[in-house]
Amino acid sequence: MTERIAQGLYDPAFERDSCGFGLIANLDDMPSHWVVETAISALARLTHRGAVAADGKTGDGCGLLIKLPERFLRAVAEEQGMQFGVRFAAGTVFLSQDPDLAATARKAIETTVAEVGLEHAGWRVVPTDPSACGERALRTLPQIEQVFVNAPDGMSRGSFNRRLFLARRRAENRITDAETYIASLSSVTISYKGMVMPGVLPDFFPDLRDPRLESSVCMFHQRFSTNTMPQWRLAQPFRFLAHNGEINTIQGNRNWAQARAKNFLSDKLDDISDLDPIISLTGSDSSSLDNMLEVMRAGGMDVLQAMRILLPPAWQSVDDIDPDVRAFYEFYDSQMEPWDGPAGIVLTDGRYAACCLDRNGLRPARFVITKDRHLTVASEIGVYDYDEKDVLTKGRLGPGQMLAVDLVNGVVLENDDIHDILKTRAPYKKWLKKGVRYLDSELVDTHTAAEPMDPNTLASYQKMFNLSREELNDIVAVLAERAQEAVGSMGDDTPMAVLSKKVRSPFDYFRQQFAQVTNPPIDSLRERIVMSLQTNIGRESSLFDIGPEHAEQICINSPILSQRKLRQLLSDDMHGNNHSFIDLNVDESLSLPAALEQMCAQAVKAVDDGKLILLLSDRYLVPGKLPVHALLATGAVHHHLVRKGLRCDVNIVVETGVARDPHHFACLIGYGATLVYPYLVYQSLHDIAQRGNLDKQQQLGRNYRRGIRKGLFKIMSKMGISSVSSYRGAQLFEIVGLHDEVVDRCFTGTTSRIQGSNFDDLKSDQQQLAVTAWKPQLTIEQGGLLKYVYGGEYHCYNPDVVTTLQAAVRSGDFEKYKDYAALVNNRPVATLRDLLLTKVAGPAVPLDEVEPVEDILVRFDSAGMSLGALSPEAHESLAIAMNRMGARSNSGEGGEDPSRYGTERVSKIKQVASGRFGVTAEYLVNAEVIQIKIAQGAKPGEGGQLPGHKVNEMIARLRFAKPGVGLISPPPHHDIYSIEDLAQLIFDLKQVNPKALVSVKLVAEPGVGTIAAGVVKAYADLITISGYDGGTGASPLSSVKYAGSPWELGLSETHQVLRRNDLRGKVRLQTDGGLKTGVDVIKAAMLGAESFGFGTGPMVALGCKYLRICHLNNCATGVATQNSTLRSEFFIGLPDMVINFFRFVAEDTRELMAELGVRKLEELIGRVDLLQPELGDTDRQSRLDLAPIVSAEGIARDAAQFCTELRNDPFDKGELAEEMVRAALPAIEAKSGGRFGFEVKNFNRSIGARLSGEIARQHGNEGMRDAPIDILLRGTAGQSLGVWNVSGLNLILIGDANDYVGKGMAGGRVVVRPPEDADYLVRETAIIGNTCLYGATGGQLFAAGTAGERFAVRNSGATAVIEGSGDHCCEYMTDGVVVVLGRTGINFGAGMTGGFAYVLDIDRCFVDRYNHELIDIHRITPETMEVHLHHLRSLITQHVEATGSEWGSQILDDYRTFMPKFWVVKPKAAELGSLIASLRQAA
Amino acid sequence: MSKHPLQFLEIPRKDPAKEDAEERIKHFDEIYESYDGASAAAQAGRCIACGNPYCEWKCPVHNYIPNWLDLIEQGKLFEAAELSHQTNSLPEICGRVCPQDRLCEGACTLNDGIGAVTIGSIEKYITDEAVKLGWRPDMSQVVDSGKTVGIVGAGPAGLAAADVLARQGIRSVVYDAYPDIGGLLTYGIPPFKLEKEVVNKRREILEGMGVKFVLNTRIGEDKPFDELLEEFDAVFLGMGTYNYVRGGFAGEDLPGVHEALPYLVSNVYRELAYDDDSIPYIDLAGKNVVVLGGGDTGMDCNRTAIRQGAASVRCAYRRDEENMPGSRREVANSKEEGIEFLFNRQPLEIVGKDHVTGVKVIETQMSEPGSDGRRRPEPIAGTEQVLPADAVVIAFGFQPDPPAWFEDFSIETLPSDRVRVATVGDYIHQTSNPKVFAGGDMVRGSDLVVTAVFEGREAAKGIAAYLGV
Repeated sequence: MTERIAQGLYDPAFERDSCGFGLIANLDDMPSHWVVETAISALARLTHRGAVAADGKTGDGCGLLIKLPERFLRAVAEEQGMQFGVRFAAGTVFLSQDPDLAATARKAIETTVAEVGLEHAGWRVVPTDPSACGERALRTLPQIEQVFVNAPDGMSRGSFNRRLFLARRRAENRITDAETYIASLSSVTISYKGMVMPGVLPDFFPDLRDPRLESSVCMFHQRFSTNTMPQWRLAQPFRFLAHNGEINTIQGNRNWAQARAKNFLSDKLDDISDLDPIISLTGSDSSSLDNMLEVMRAGGMDVLQAMRILLPPAWQSVDDIDPDVRAFYEFYDSQMEPWDGPAGIVLTDGRYAACCLDRNGLRPARFVITKDRHLTVASEIGVYDYDEKDVLTKGRLGPGQMLAVDLVNGVVLENDDIHDILKTRAPYKKWLKKGVRYLDSELVDTHTAAEPMDPNTLASYQKMFNLSREELNDIVAVLAERAQEAVGSMGDDTPMAVLSKKVRSPFDYFRQQFAQVTNPPIDSLRERIVMSLQTNIGRESSLFDIGPEHAEQICINSPILSQRKLRQLLSDDMHGNNHSFIDLNVDESLSLPAALEQMCAQAVKAVDDGKLILLLSDRYLVPGKLPVHALLATGAVHHHLVRKGLRCDVNIVVETGVARDPHHFACLIGYGATLVYPYLVYQSLHDIAQRGNLDKQQQLGRNYRRGIRKGLFKIMSKMGISSVSSYRGAQLFEIVGLHDEVVDRCFTGTTSRIQGSNFDDLKSDQQQLAVTAWKPQLTIEQGGLLKYVYGGEYHCYNPDVVTTLQAAVRSGDFEKYKDYAALVNNRPVATLRDLLLTKVAGPAVPLDEVEPVEDILVRFDSAGMSLGALSPEAHESLAIAMNRMGARSNSGEGGEDPSRYGTERVSKIKQVASGRFGVTAEYLVNAEVIQIKIAQGAKPGEGGQLPGHKVNEMIARLRFAKPGVGLISPPPHHDIYSIEDLAQLIFDLKQVNPKALVSVKLVAEPGVGTIAAGVVKAYADLITISGYDGGTGASPLSSVKYAGSPWELGLSETHQVLRRNDLRGKVRLQTDGGLKTGVDVIKAAMLGAESFGFGTGPMVALGCKYLRICHLNNCATGVATQNSTLRSEFFIGLPDMVINFFRFVAEDTRELMAELGVRKLEELIGRVDLLQPELGDTDRQSRLDLAPIVSAEGIARDAAQFCTELRNDPFDKGELAEEMVRAALPAIEAKSGGRFGFEVKNFNRSIGARLSGEIARQHGNEGMRDAPIDILLRGTAGQSLGVWNVSGLNLILIGDANDYVGKGMAGGRVVVRPPEDADYLVRETAIIGNTCLYGATGGQLFAAGTAGERFAVRNSGATAVIEGSGDHCCEYMTDGVVVVLGRTGINFGAGMTGGFAYVLDIDRCFVDRYNHELIDIHRITPETMEVHLHHLRSLITQHVEATGSEWGSQILDDYRTFMPKFWVVKPKAAELGSLIASLRQAA
Repeated sequence: MSKHPLQFLEIPRKDPAKEDAEERIKHFDEIYESYDGASAAAQAGRCIACGNPYCEWKCPVHNYIPNWLDLIEQGKLFEAAELSHQTNSLPEICGRVCPQDRLCEGACTLNDGIGAVTIGSIEKYITDEAVKLGWRPDMSQVVDSGKTVGIVGAGPAGLAAADVLARQGIRSVVYDAYPDIGGLLTYGIPPFKLEKEVVNKRREILEGMGVKFVLNTRIGEDKPFDELLEEFDAVFLGMGTYNYVRGGFAGEDLPGVHEALPYLVSNVYRELAYDDDSIPYIDLAGKNVVVLGGGDTGMDCNRTAIRQGAASVRCAYRRDEENMPGSRREVANSKEEGIEFLFNRQPLEIVGKDHVTGVKVIETQMSEPGSDGRRRPEPIAGTEQVLPADAVVIAFGFQPDPPAWFEDFSIETLPSDRVRVATVGDYIHQTSNPKVFAGGDMVRGSDLVVTAVFEGREAAKGIAAYLGV
């Protein structure tokens, strides 16, 4: 493989994909052509989950992995005169079209086959029809051939396959051309895959049409990639598996695989020492996972066990797990970290065919077993047309579950069956009991610092480690006092560390990565159950040759050590003299590289000496020595040991003064630290407590650790990672501003794109600190990173800037604006763009020839700020101002008062955020632009919470909640866990409002360009790239400071990637983040933006003084508060001030355009050639390499620079929906109601939305209530049945449905019932998919069967009856009623603040299944709860009437018996007696 | 930190009690009472801890105001005093004499109608109260550097420099021509704004920090400057501005016309009961007084005259009230005490034959702002009038008056007579003589006490760097 080099800001490593996937297997291993044929047609019915190029032919790749069709292969081989032995293998090989290269590759394969003692039997050119390919795929079409290999007589199948594995890996290592790719080489499976659309796969491979080609197992996969560069090799399935999702921890997993290579040795495997690297370090995450599975299998582990180790369920925190199963997972957890991330995986090794889901269940998998003994698993139900009466059973995989077919024994293994097999393979529990020792957590460590430093020494340490008074008071003390992070508001307006002229912490160069679009963040609070910080200290040994010594581990519940635990750990009685002390304080004269080298050598020696722990410590400062920053040391030692293959023999414990906030800990752990002991924090807390400034001294250390733990959870979950063992070493950061010499040595492999501070700079920072550290007369610094302080860090919205801007917009005086602009434009370098000078495009033009202000204004949007964050007065002033200018304001999250629709107070951009507050069909049809807010610049990857006290009457009304009830915005959109999910949401929105443009708001981070490309392919019309500096109403401070990248990087990367992929012309690109003057507009345009978002600027124009107290609801300027006094008496903002601001900026822009010599802004878009990187004011600024930002390398010159198409219409024209509109439109127009019938299949998506949109447009959400239209449907409905449903639309489906039923429903009714001839147990059968009723605000849903995960998530008004549910049912619910007539999954009612539920608990295990934080449960007793009794009965009666549910009838028939088995589930804060009354009130 | 977010609305701004005008004009004592602990905490708790601390930004010494307000709310008096002294050498004095309404309190976010936090009064409270309870700057960690500095002038700049130097282990000797320290603090500012006990207390504190004072000694006369250069490792000049700005109109030399500073100094001399015939007491009792000038010095003259028992005091100023440089608080206090303000009156001449009998003024109107941003007064023809007066006090401000010996030591001045000092580089405030540093009014021109403090502090940092400490 050739090394692929990044160009500009684009790096192929950023590519992401996801897909539709599945498998069909005959339970008795009986091969048939039907299996193959059906699999292909199923794949074609998942086309909407993949991406389609404009030519309608080029997809992102699809393929099959089938059990080896022996008969067929023998037959075609015979035709070619080849003879196979008793046991043979076949491989699919992509060869170069260059005959010489192909010949060399063939030869290499033949040679390695011979080397491992196998016999090469011949080659076959696989017949293909290139006319099935699109143009882009054709350009890279390989020569596809099959290679055949015979096993020597008597060789066992296992031995044969291991040798094939070796032969293949060796061949791969030897073949140097980039095109050769061995897709499969096995005696049990073979793959057929390519860059074609599923429908034409058999056209491309005529083999697949051949009736002789028979197989018992066929896996299929359809890819949706974020890029469009055809890569044949990237098509799935791989050799064992096909993966839908993304491995978030891939970087760490790859590093660890490399580090523990020797633990993969097995006597079953010959020499694997030449398989370096053991798994591929490039290519897709899925292919690495496939490699890993292959290595484990080759070592002798079966796929069931290997897969469960790689993708364990959430075993740590689940209460009712079998202890032996827990022991199995705990045992292997100490040997190998999980591969974490959204994953639906199908796999087969010929022995088993299986499907497995990640612990969060973030990808859907539905299965059906038919009476003819076939199992079908796929992303969706209904992928082929079986007869319902032939169905034996149907279901769905839950989170962390695995389902397998044992092809040898012809049995289906369910999750528990597999666990039963695995747990008995070794006495895991016994071994653990003997080997594991726990660090005492029972005893409270009452001492924050057992040996307190004297004040003078403490001050020296604080100065040496740059701990300011601000950080002490506002960060550290808050953590210790409240056990959680400090919250702040507004954005980060300080320069990035590399741009700063102050001494900044090396941690400041690290930006936390976060999940957006291609994977979801987790809610670490409400879904705590999947999170774990459990940390093991011990040695790893062979993964295959296991024994009790593997279990000799020290187990700690968190990586943050208290003093007591550190002592315990290091004490002799734990593991003998087990640690080696490595002093981070080194002689001042030593260079950093030399110091690090010295430490690495010490580390290697310690491992050689058999030490278990490396204690990296800066605890003992000495004048004349300088501490090496713990992060540099940790990273350097970690990587050195990884490279030496020694990393898994030892654990890194860091005793440091530099770790203070959660980000610091995350960095240390992310670069390899096992445990961290933050002694300086404890010393400082002790001192603060001594001075009496914090109470409860005993709790401080404990609280602090608790706060850090929560913070770590937040940081991990932001990236969708649930276990610290897979976060450790995963390097989930972008480095902004460190030189390659630092990155390569200490942070190898981390994305770092613009160079910057080198070792000398970092050393000189520490020297500066040392000078003050040893001067006792100098006090510690005040700070200034959070708030403006004279002489401290520069703030872009400093008092001068704010006051000058306000003077300008209030007076309307352009000269005053110029004073403001001069302050901004002449500031010290504070952003990357400040280092980019603009060049003229041509001779200056007269100002009056430049396009008018009005033409520029239409390119300006106000950024999304919710009514809740802003006062209504401020929100409306902003809307009025934008509308008067012909620009657009953004509603933000939280709905909009319908009285604003159609007036100048309307927000033309309507936001759809993860809380879905107030998102109804009527809201959506009143938008010109619908913006999906994936992430927020100030806190990407995080949710939000509006505390109850802020939810006043008005906010409650708009958000369909009750006053005083707290509202939670989940971190992820629960309908966007991957790119194809986003495509579905966009489709939902375009169905309900075909006139609106759909916009997707992303936050800059490495790879955002690639994500953006995927978003364009998901048919978004607009993309906003926000910088890290965006504002917020409330956010943990460490999120504001450390997440997200500068928009200059994100915008430029996006522009480059879109152009490279020929997608730029399809989408409008916007940027926002700290835009202040015309210069910003010009530079943003040159970097690729054609539209510009402003958040803080117009707020300041309205009177905001950047107080950073928005979260307290006490904004003294009345801008960001709901307090009526402050709003009515102290808000002074007027629309004209906003208009002045924007007109000034536009006029400023015009003047600059005149100087630059352009008449239209369009002429500047994407003109990176007009931006000249200049040297900065400091050495490190001058070391920055901004060339990648202004690069156009590898991009066709004629590629579009801006959007050239009006809309980006979906490939799926929604024909059935259009037919339905044609049929029902007269009835809607006449408001007359009616009844219509249609057949549906799984590819008919968002059914109902078009009608709801039409109804809402003409009559609003409620207007058709009295003259409803009934739509009768039959079949399997695609995703989003009844999405955005309104009153007056009733959908009655006979059959089943996929995910998102009733999402965003505001009224009407959705009914799903099985066909009359169904022959399975209906009440235990999945009938609707995941995330149904998400964000519903009203209406009814009745489904006779079970629902998937997250039923009624964020429901705020719908009434529903179902017969069973998956995990996280009623999560974040704020209103409405849910009845579950059967078993629920775990974590019921997490974050549920309103509404209530009735749950029928037959097996009496509901107590273990609900989340106890916010809700309580009560039995229904006839004496006291008659009203509930009646209410429940009437709901079940309606359910039975609507669905004909047998189970419902049975319950009604025997109501007295069932009644005591029901629970009423309600928020603790709600009164039991008033639940129904308040329901009536709402109705 | 857990303070109530709406305290600023629920508890109104409340200054410490002020003595009634009728009573207070009978003496020269300070007119404001002090907060008690509870009211200081309640008022401090009104601070909303803005992300942009406009108070700190506007404050010439950039006091960490929100931080010490927070400490006061928590009752951490000594910590507040410690923190307050980190940026200000004379906080209790600034708390009294700063025009807070133009500085910190004027910039306070809450000053938009809600009522600014009473920063000045709290600042005063902090040090007064802490010192009363025994707090003194913690010098225990200071290591003597062995370096010494001679300071010329015991005014705010000199005192500030001495304070900062002492904290760096640099001993200093402060010379002053007057018998007491403080310069204008003592002799220019009337005691009803700043009681002399406060300055004495500060002297005690500074002496406790090792600062030595040599008074009644005029450098260049009583002690030659080269002796200083010999005796010390560096010299700081903080000699202020004592050249009065003259009106440049007829009659300025008539008997009964007084310059502000001699007038105020004479009053202090009398109040302090100095026995010094060289400074005769100027007594305006029973006189009809006209004060010319709208700055704080003018207000001081107004109110001194009233206290001396003047029959009437009128204050004439050429701009309108809006554009007056004096602190609004002092204008208000003056009005309360019976001073009559005549705005938009530009003096043309002082009338009288052998003694002043009146001031001829012309009315003005405000025109467009000039280069300094202030609106200029334009005389309105035909509106001349004579204000009858028995005494006139002219308070037009001060200009530097560099002594002749500067030249002997290559200490350069600017055309404006201000001393030229380094503003960038490692040794800021260094004059053209490397060993000599300067700060305060003589460098920046006549300005506020607090700016002089700032300059003295900055110069001390420059000196410390110069001395390698």
